[in-house]
Amino acid sequence: MDLENQKRVLELSEKYGKENVVVVLGSSEAETAGLAAETVTAGDPTYAGPLAGVSLGLAVYHIFELKDEVDADVFDEQCGMMEMVLDVDAIAAEVKSIREQYSNF
Amino acid sequence: MIKVVHYINQFYGGIGGEEKADIRPEVREGVVGPGMALQGALGNDAKIVATIICGDSYFNENLEEATEEILQMVKNYEPDLFIAGPAFNAGRYGVACGTICKAVKEKLNIPVVSGMYPENPGVDMFKKDIYIIETANAATGMRKALPAIAKLGMKLAKGEAIGSPAEEGYIARGVRKNIFREERGSKRAVNMLVAKLKGEPFETEYPMPDFDRVAPNPAVKDLKNAKIALVTSGGIVPKGNPDRIEASSASKYGKYDIEGVMDLTQETYETAHGGYDPVYANQDADRVLPVDVLRELEKEGVIGKLHRYFYTTVGNGTSVANAKKFASTFAQELVADGVQAVILTST
Repeated sequence: MDLENQKRVLELSEKYGKENVVVVLGSSEAETAGLAAETVTAGDPTYAGPLAGVSLGLAVYHIFELKDEVDADVFDEQCGMMEMVLDVDAIAAEVKSIREQYSNF
Repeated sequence: MIKVVHYINQFYGGIGGEEKADIRPEVREGVVGPGMALQGALGNDAKIVATIICGDSYFNENLEEATEEILQMVKNYEPDLFIAGPAFNAGRYGVACGTICKAVKEKLNIPVVSGMYPENPGVDMFKKDIYIIETANAATGMRKALPAIAKLGMKLAKGEAIGSPAEEGYIARGVRKNIFREERGSKRAVNMLVAKLKGEPFETEYPMPDFDRVAPNPAVKDLKNAKIALVTSGGIVPKGNPDRIEASSASKYGKYDIEGVMDLTQETYETAHGGYDPVYANQDADRVLPVDVLRELEKEGVIGKLHRYFYTTVGNGTSVANAKKFASTFAQELVADGVQAVILTST
């Protein structure tokens, strides 16, 4: 996750409280989704950004995991195409595994 | 307690990316960035007492001065171990880590260890001088790299015997060591040959060094009638980067038509490269890909013709394997198009 986004996540979680923040990812690969999920839970695994050594433990989901929470038409319009071409199961499994290990909410 | 000084660049120091690469060396007490995880890996017997941060550009552009300055900083702490990086596949960072490690080892007689991806230019330059733990090509390999660096570092600091590259995870330094084996050499050689003939795996006892030297082609005899092509790893692309060539670790190259193009202008071309200050290349892309000068040479009859297409990619962090793959594809096109010579520009 780039350094600017790490900073934004950190600021938002300080402003609203960790328990009130949910991070929704849109990454197109399982590996990058997993790294982003790890960054906002356990801390930046590359130790380069503002979240290095900061374990926020935020709730984190990939948008594909939230399909049932979203208006079907909106989901179809925004994510329908990508849902067909990406490895949805692998992405969801990776984010879920990170969430179960490090998320506190 | 083993005292450790850690060296990192401006990016891992949290100061900034390329735009901050010209910062001078500075020292901070305790851990910074990856040092947090490194301290954990080192355990309770060692303590990172200071972290030295230096911009990659500053270091590489002021090699002697920066080395001297950093040596002095290291000396002040009288550490028992010096760790630099890991630099993964970042070229200038790798060269900085290697340079400063070598200086600390030779001038201050302190054990040193670094970590890099095997294709990092710092590896070939310094693998004979220092221990470099083999890492992944990007920072995502941090979690795996640091424990290996810490483990080897602790052994070096305690003066313990260091095992083979395979056992310790460092990049082979070309050091030969006499050991006793149960079976004599001729028998082991025959066993390997038999395994090879059967198509079974075997491990050579004397791996050949991996030379990547390209023998130059014979000179172009008749330049006046030669068709010359331009190829660059400097990232020059038509404005807007239509094929979305990545700013770093490029996965593709572009081929663009310059029929009738006499001059690359600010309005029509730019660089996609993320590893150098793009201002001057964006102002005038001919500075990287000299179309204007070759058009002049074409007009003057010095060269026969400038090839109608140029090929371009971003060399920044791009693996040698990928670069070879690109070249082997478009070199065939160039040959098929009757190109006799290529001018390859980098940055």
